Amino acid sequence: MEGTRCTQGLVLSGRQWILVIMSLCLTMWMIPIGWQGLETFDPEESYRIPYAASRDYWLYERYVNQPHDEPRVYFVGDSVVWGEYVSKEGTWTHWLNDHSQGEPRFVNLALNGLYPLALEGLLEHYAKELHHAQVLLHCNLLWMSSPQADLSDPKEQVFNHPMLVPQWEPQLPSYHATIETRLSRLVGNHWSWLAWIRHLQIHYWDQKDPYQWTLMDDGRYPPTYPNHRSFPWQAIDWQLEQEPSPDPDRGLESPRHKPWSELGEGTQRYDWVPLSQSLQWAAFQRICQRMVERDNALMVIIGPFNQHMLHPDHRPTFKAYEQEIIQWFRDQGIAHLAPPTLPSHQYGDASHPLQPGYRMLAQQLWEAPDFQQWIKPLKR
Amino acid sequence: MGSGRLRLPWLLLASYVFYGWWNPFYLGLIFYSTLLDYWIVAWMDQCHQGDWPENRSGGWRAFLFLHLKNRGLNQALWCGRLLLIGATCGLSLGPSSLRALATLMCLLGFTMIWAATRQDRRSWLWASMLNNLSLLFYFKYADFFIENANFLMDRLGLGYQWPPAASWMPLGMEYMLPVGISFYTFQSMSYTLDFYRGQLGREHSFLRFATYVSFFPQLVAGPIERASSLLPQLARPKKLQAKAFAEGSSIFLVGLFKKLALANYLSFYVERVYEMPETQAAPALAMATVAFAWQIYFDFSGYTDMARGIARIMGYELMLNFNHPYLATSLGDFWARWHISLSTWFRDYVYIPLGGNRKGPILGATYLLITFLASAIWHGAAWTFVIWGLMHAVGTLFNRLLERQKWFQEKVPTMLRRILVFGFVCLAWIFFRAESVADAWLILSKLVQGNWQDPQIPWLMVALILAVWSYQWVQQSPWRAWTQTGPFKVCAVIIMLLWLCFFSSSGGAFIYFQF
Repeated sequence: MEGTRCTQGLVLSGRQWILVIMSLCLTMWMIPIGWQGLETFDPEESYRIPYAASRDYWLYERYVNQPHDEPRVYFVGDSVVWGEYVSKEGTWTHWLNDHSQGEPRFVNLALNGLYPLALEGLLEHYAKELHHAQVLLHCNLLWMSSPQADLSDPKEQVFNHPMLVPQWEPQLPSYHATIETRLSRLVGNHWSWLAWIRHLQIHYWDQKDPYQWTLMDDGRYPPTYPNHRSFPWQAIDWQLEQEPSPDPDRGLESPRHKPWSELGEGTQRYDWVPLSQSLQWAAFQRICQRMVERDNALMVIIGPFNQHMLHPDHRPTFKAYEQEIIQWFRDQGIAHLAPPTLPSHQYGDASHPLQPGYRMLAQQLWEAPDFQQWIKPLKR
Repeated sequence: MGSGRLRLPWLLLASYVFYGWWNPFYLGLIFYSTLLDYWIVAWMDQCHQGDWPENRSGGWRAFLFLHLKNRGLNQALWCGRLLLIGATCGLSLGPSSLRALATLMCLLGFTMIWAATRQDRRSWLWASMLNNLSLLFYFKYADFFIENANFLMDRLGLGYQWPPAASWMPLGMEYMLPVGISFYTFQSMSYTLDFYRGQLGREHSFLRFATYVSFFPQLVAGPIERASSLLPQLARPKKLQAKAFAEGSSIFLVGLFKKLALANYLSFYVERVYEMPETQAAPALAMATVAFAWQIYFDFSGYTDMARGIARIMGYELMLNFNHPYLATSLGDFWARWHISLSTWFRDYVYIPLGGNRKGPILGATYLLITFLASAIWHGAAWTFVIWGLMHAVGTLFNRLLERQKWFQEKVPTMLRRILVFGFVCLAWIFFRAESVADAWLILSKLVQGNWQDPQIPWLMVALILAVWSYQWVQQSPWRAWTQTGPFKVCAVIIMLLWLCFFSSSGGAFIYFQF
């Protein structure tokens, strides 16, 4: 009967299907766990998730879950905390560690291109172990500086970390993904197996699926296909992708590491989204509330925004906007600090400091009495 | 709902939602086609069994004044008259964008009056064929026909050019090929033909008939089910059974694997090579042609496996559409294994009614040629398909001659026959896949020249093709029993599922959706 009805002959009975499903669940649960034992991951003090692995949330989760003996402060945020223009030895957390001498240790838990709506998803799905921890949370006002940055503009946008944003609720006017895409992203966030597969793709197959990797060309004309003779498993060398050293895009030697303007005076005017309507601000508020619920010892660092870049007429508007935000933290009883604006030449753009800027920020933070009070429980 | 009264309405609704999701306008087309065939068979049922009954009437007076005693046929007559009057009004008073549709309705009205007044089954059969084939012709072949006719008229210096088919669409609607039109039209036609030939009783339930025509698992790419097989299944109450669920899921998984893990992967290489054949050397063209042979097999048989799997889960059995075609030992054998539902459709409704092989070798060969041509044109309106069909017709005739030779029967081993058949099929696929006849010739000439250059085909792709081919070979060998053991099947399914997690890649729509 099978011969005519199903020529490939792979017809399973109900019991065999149950066996398949059980074996599959076990395999999918065991392999990522076993993988952690095989793939070496021993992050040093200044470690940050490499730029090329910004979408590797499985690695992020592994980083969060790293066992440790020393007291830790997790610094969570976007590229300002991550260090857009600096090497990992020039970041905010590096300089804080310099001050603390490892008591406590400041961990750079930032990701490049992360904004509050995505951070919410990241903390929800990939940083569950962060409860009860001491968390410094960075609040970057740039994400509310226009309807486009706020993702409240109805025009479709391509943005970072679409996997982490709310897929349905709240609705993001700038996010026009199809139902299938949203559904697959939703499933992808709840199923660590898929996050692990993405991890392999990012680290071993040039950010591609293994099929595409075997078909990849070298970008020249006429193209050649360097991987066509290799099987995908041959590319697995158990070595995680590291930041390039030296990094041509980051660090003191990099051409990108330079002040935003030689003149130091800007003409920028921002179309600030009212806080009551801002999707990013609402997400940030939810993050804070969630952290408080998770028993995190939370402190929010606001800015420092590059006010030199603003048109002088526009600065009072910004100040009022910042004050409104500070007032909310005050009302909620959330510890917060708003470091003063850095000298103009210490900014690389509207929000990213350069290496001396980070050093100064770390010093300001370390010397702030509120900050000292906040980290006191972690000091031995 | 599975076995209750709501089963059929649910199935029909699901089918229409499935089809309408793609383009709600073309939902009207499938509904129209279904309704007309349902009525035509109902009217055919009112006619006498024999053709040309004595009480038939004709002439213009009949169009205007005739009243038929048979209530059903009288209704058909009035339907025809109303359609004619309405369409004439539309033609004279309506906007110009409605002219083509009104003309079509005029013709249909005439045909209905003609068939009702003649009161014979054959007239109704003609009405049905005319209607179905006109729609198919308009949506699928009109542009090809117009393009070639205009070219010919231009060459003859006639100074007239037909407007494109799109200009005939009513109310400015978009002209595009309705997905699966060839499949559901042939499925609907098989019902009318089987009823006409007395091989099938009339289906009284419109709901059941509409579900048969639009049954969603196989609506857009087959298999082309026969009414005699599916209608009785739709009539029987169904219970969702664990066994059917397990079997259906197995068949579905194999189909999914074929499409996502195999066909899509092969498509990337095939597209890369066939996109610019002029820049490719012989090895790459040869490998891409072999890859395409497997791609189209995995793509099409994958879809039908999924269709059959879903139907099986719901308790329905759809016919087998592919049976390891690349293990065929002759071209006749290939066509008995490839797209079986279409091959048997053309055999039963074209080749055998024409005379089959009963009228001598010359006529038999001619009928075979006609059947292959019709089958080729069914695939699409292009000269590449015509050549592909002709190649298979000539190849099959030659193969038949060879098979009659004693030396061929005794001395050519099965494996060599398989390789020869596969080689020929691949050669024909070049015309099927190439963008134009010129491209196909270019590929053939490059293959003959044989310049060596690394084809740069991924070894993983080659390994996968070899693995599947070996597995199929084992399936037809005495070792089949080994692959039927529980542990083997469970392991194979786990590997397939894990493979899908890692390797499934997006590779576009199913190839056969375009037909």
